[in-house]
Amino acid sequence: MLDLYLPIAEVSVSAPLLVVLGAVVGFISGLFGIGGGFLMTPVLVFLGIPPAVAVASEANHVAASSTSGVISYTRRRAVDFKMGAVLAAGGAVGAIVGVEIFRWLLLLGQADLVVSLSYLVFLGVIGGLMLVESVQAIVRRRSGQTTGPRRDRRPVWLYGLPLKVRFPRSRLYISVIPPIALGIFVGVLSAIMGVGGGFILVPAMVYILRMPAAVVVGTSLFQIIITTSLASLLQAGRNQTVDIVLATLLLIGGVIGAQFGARASARFRAEELRALLAIIVLAVGINMGIGLFLTPEEPFVQISGAG
Amino acid sequence: MAFIPPPPEAGPVVSAALTDTSVKVNSSFRGARIVLYGAIYDPRARPSDVVVIVRGPEQPLRIARKTKAAGVVWVNSRPVVFQGAPGFFMTASSRPLDQIAGFGALRRLGAGIDHLAINAPEEQQEETRYGIRDMVVSRLGTDYLDWRRGVVRLKQNAGLYAADPQGVKFVDQGLFRAEIDLPSGAPTGAYTAEIVLFQDGQPVSRRMRGLTVEKVGLERELYLLAHRRPWLYGLASVMIALAAGWAASAVFRRN
Repeated sequence: MLDLYLPIAEVSVSAPLLVVLGAVVGFISGLFGIGGGFLMTPVLVFLGIPPAVAVASEANHVAASSTSGVISYTRRRAVDFKMGAVLAAGGAVGAIVGVEIFRWLLLLGQADLVVSLSYLVFLGVIGGLMLVESVQAIVRRRSGQTTGPRRDRRPVWLYGLPLKVRFPRSRLYISVIPPIALGIFVGVLSAIMGVGGGFILVPAMVYILRMPAAVVVGTSLFQIIITTSLASLLQAGRNQTVDIVLATLLLIGGVIGAQFGARASARFRAEELRALLAIIVLAVGINMGIGLFLTPEEPFVQISGAG
Repeated sequence: MAFIPPPPEAGPVVSAALTDTSVKVNSSFRGARIVLYGAIYDPRARPSDVVVIVRGPEQPLRIARKTKAAGVVWVNSRPVVFQGAPGFFMTASSRPLDQIAGFGALRRLGAGIDHLAINAPEEQQEETRYGIRDMVVSRLGTDYLDWRRGVVRLKQNAGLYAADPQGVKFVDQGLFRAEIDLPSGAPTGAYTAEIVLFQDGQPVSRRMRGLTVEKVGLERELYLLAHRRPWLYGLASVMIALAAGWAASAVFRRN
């Protein structure tokens, strides 16, 4: 049959299902410039794959679909490599710190709680804010109002900080401190939540760094490749939790889906895309978080890290 | 293997063999069925029952209990480590266990999920690892039974602990057959199958048979590579990911 036994996850799963899942998440990844880990990791856990293996192997899938997507954006000159590198440098530091925090939480037995809370809080807040903003933008446009001049009132602190660097592709001249801090923050979260962090980076680049919308998605994908490749390597090297068969099945679908996603993104308006992403982000956040408030059917849970 | 008949006075004897002593886990592994045949030699031909107990390799198990904090949020309690809970535990018998033997006999044999010995330490013991204390529950502690039931339920839900009161079938006079299903999530390692003959509620003869569940072929190579050369393995998987991403992009550009 088409079921495959995964050598590291040590469970048997349907291979076509994984390819299709990879393709769907890859499409979303290419469309929005997010890794898609926040969607895929919960699904893999639901399929019975041990969470540690799901998180580590998913990083590999995200690296693949982001590579597939980023090349399309590069051709459209829609990647700010300099900004991406700065974000990724912060992300690498954050990921290393985050992996240590995660190990500590695992030992405490509170990893589940922190993961669920992180999903609820970050996805809820970001999804909510993005939904409100994008719906307002859509309503403004539909009601015939001119969108008005782009709000170029950048926060003072962006200009007040030292170590200013020019980012020509983004038409920015700002301190490197905010992007590095953002990278670190996203890196920590990505290690804890098992995600690439695109869902935080995309809105942060738009609303905090005020980067032009055209380069946001490509730049986000570029920085995701670097951090997820590093995360995947660290997970394999330290924890032996990357399942190469699982990752390969997911990325076969993922790289193809990402191509269609990247193409489709040109056909939508930016605010419509953001509204759609906001809804997905909110739904996943609520879904992950709601379990914290419902009386569990089974009061006992097995947690990894024994022995 | 030549069969040497037991001396006439020795009483009933059970004998059994597995049709396959090794289960190969390859990429198409979706669980396996272990088939065991056995015979009872009893000159007096008294009514007999057979119980087959299959145990998988022991694995330490960490579990936590969800408790309500601040009246709203369910959080995990401090984790508890159970040492030596078998990774797989299946009892097959010719009749429901409680009809075969009494509590004491079953408890001494560890037959059936209710009588499974999970080697929690006899005394309260605390370990400190990375500065975090893992409490190991005492066998004598008051909440031990609750936790133990939790362990069993989790394993049962994963299909790793089970009891089949019709798992042993007599196919002929004194000849029986047992089937034990291993789910695809069964741990790899050394298993034992213990075959016990009961008469009048007492175990009168026992046999032990070994069984290994091991990865073979590509599954084994990948598993070994991941554990022996983890950085090389990680580098390879990242390379596959980046190459696949680039290849897809190149293919689609041409179209």
